[in-house]
Amino acid sequence: MNRILLADDDAELTNMLGEYLGGEGLAVDTAHDGEAALAKARSGAFDLMVLDVMMPKKNGFDVLRELRAHSLLPVLMLTARDEDVDSIIGLELGADDYLPKPCNPRVLVARIRAILRRAATPAADVDGSAVLVLADLELHAGTRQVHRAGQPVVLTSTEYSVLEALLRAAGHVVSKAELSERALGRKLTRYDRSLDMHVSSLRRKLGALPGGGERIQTVRGVGYQYVRA
Amino acid sequence: MHRLFWKIFLSFWAALILFAGATMLTASHYLEQARQEERVVSPRERLLAQAAEAQQIVDREGIEGLKAWLRMIDRRELIALLVVDADGNELLGRPVPPTFGERPGHGPRGMPRMGRWQQTIRLPDASEYRLVPDFQGVTLRRVLARPRVMALPLVIAALVSGLVCFLLARYLTAPLERLRRATDAYANGDLALRVAPALGSRRDEIADLAHSFDRMAQRLQELMDAQRQLLRDVSHELRSPLARLTVALGLARQRAGDATATELDRIEREAERLNELIGQLLSLARLESGIAATAGAPVDLAPLLAGVANDADFEARAVNRRVELAASGPAVIAGDIRLLHSAFENIVRNAVRYTADGSAVEVALAPDPGRAGWRVTIRDHGPGVPEPMLARLFEPFVRVDEARDRARGGYGLGLAIAERAIRAHGGAVWASNAAGGGLCVEVRLPGEKEAVGN
Repeated sequence: MNRILLADDDAELTNMLGEYLGGEGLAVDTAHDGEAALAKARSGAFDLMVLDVMMPKKNGFDVLRELRAHSLLPVLMLTARDEDVDSIIGLELGADDYLPKPCNPRVLVARIRAILRRAATPAADVDGSAVLVLADLELHAGTRQVHRAGQPVVLTSTEYSVLEALLRAAGHVVSKAELSERALGRKLTRYDRSLDMHVSSLRRKLGALPGGGERIQTVRGVGYQYVRA
Repeated sequence: MHRLFWKIFLSFWAALILFAGATMLTASHYLEQARQEERVVSPRERLLAQAAEAQQIVDREGIEGLKAWLRMIDRRELIALLVVDADGNELLGRPVPPTFGERPGHGPRGMPRMGRWQQTIRLPDASEYRLVPDFQGVTLRRVLARPRVMALPLVIAALVSGLVCFLLARYLTAPLERLRRATDAYANGDLALRVAPALGSRRDEIADLAHSFDRMAQRLQELMDAQRQLLRDVSHELRSPLARLTVALGLARQRAGDATATELDRIEREAERLNELIGQLLSLARLESGIAATAGAPVDLAPLLAGVANDADFEARAVNRRVELAASGPAVIAGDIRLLHSAFENIVRNAVRYTADGSAVEVALAPDPGRAGWRVTIRDHGPGVPEPMLARLFEPFVRVDEARDRARGGYGLGLAIAERAIRAHGGAVWASNAAGGGLCVEVRLPGEKEAVGN
């Protein structure tokens, strides 16, 4: 059973949500302020954290920033609906996905499952070859690990999924719609900048190609392409 | 207190006094010089020479020649030469001072005697004229009437007073220009600019105004920050119960099974509407307060409108209506793509709501012929709007027809949001009844270069 940490200062909401998620077969614990959330998230007892931005003591961004210093725990941010900036900041800080509040619990469950599916590491999940090698990059589908020039690169599960989808189609353009469904597990919505943010952190973490060129090219209005050197 | 008043009053006064003083000074200086010149040459010799010349002209050209010569002298010289006949009449009809009629040495009341300057000119018919320099006739008027004499002093006086006035005008208007720039900045949502520090140690009404201005900007900024905070708070406070409601609804669904599915669907739909309405209210408040500054990224209207028209067409076809787009080539402006999208979406959806069954909403994008911008028209084939309502169409919660509007859905906020969003991009939007029925909404947006680059 997957264990979910719900970090939100609204106790009534987290209680009901806990009940709902329990009904969907997920085990839930709650935290009502930033510090408690960070402490519980660091305990390693959870598979995913649902993190609200507005919280006392430490806000969601600070929690995420400190967590990401040494943990890849998948995080789903809950953001204010009218603050596009919030979602961008969240994704920049390494959130796996975001959902505007108030959200439909069914959608929340679907997002949680999509992230958990990405983060899961069963060997049976591997489609195609278990190890993808391209120039200096090595991707182990079984363990969901990435090495560049022999050194491990630390990626969130969403970043890994985006990279895997791009690598499997290396040399070809992957449309944003396709990438959204394959890597994020949901349909692309208008003006959604999630993919752009994930790709931009991938670029940052992977650096340039050995030859000095851009690893992942943006094809304006279409999608992204991992450059086959 | 009224420092500026005194500054203006005293500067103008000083400038005028300066001008008048300079004029008189130069005039008297000139007169002095003229007198000195005469002394150097000896005025008497000069007069003798002039008398000789006059005699020659009379001998050669007669009385008419003398008159012409006199007129020439009168124009050129500061001191006039009078020619008086035996009856005391001047040859050119000029007034003759009373002392002139006397013989040498007979001046009454100690008046300066002209006699010793007198020269006699004889005419061929043996009549005599007396030639006398008219020293008393040298008045200021005579000086001013001789441009050759007055040109230089006048130019100098004009330059000096011009400089004074120029400096004064600049002193007065420079801070006003600064104030204007600050006001423009405020209008564009930048409240960080302050005017008073730029005026230095200036202490007058304009400096006071600048200080008041800065206080106003400060207050505006505080209010806007407060409103921003309020918006966040309201958004949070209204949406927290809504968030609980949606989760409770989900729980009810989990437990109830299919028995109440219709009612729960309804509750969910209404909750979603409520959420949308809160969102619209918030974005309207944000647009009205100018908080939603438009990000000046290039936006191509053509694909944006294509997307809007496509989506709306898809929805419209479900109710036997269509949306048609006529656009050619890219139309790039600077702005916020989401804001523009929601603006056009609101207008087009409104049109779809009112257009007649089986008809099409016509969306057209064209270059704005008047200015370097773009014009988008959205025309429906519905009942139109009564003329008096046209102007109020973009006010929030205005309904053309209470019952019908409610039946067709919408909250009366869509067009208001659209209008504010267009205005935030430096554009304008207005509605008119199209010839042949239906409402035509026209949107004008400035091109990329013209748009406010904030």
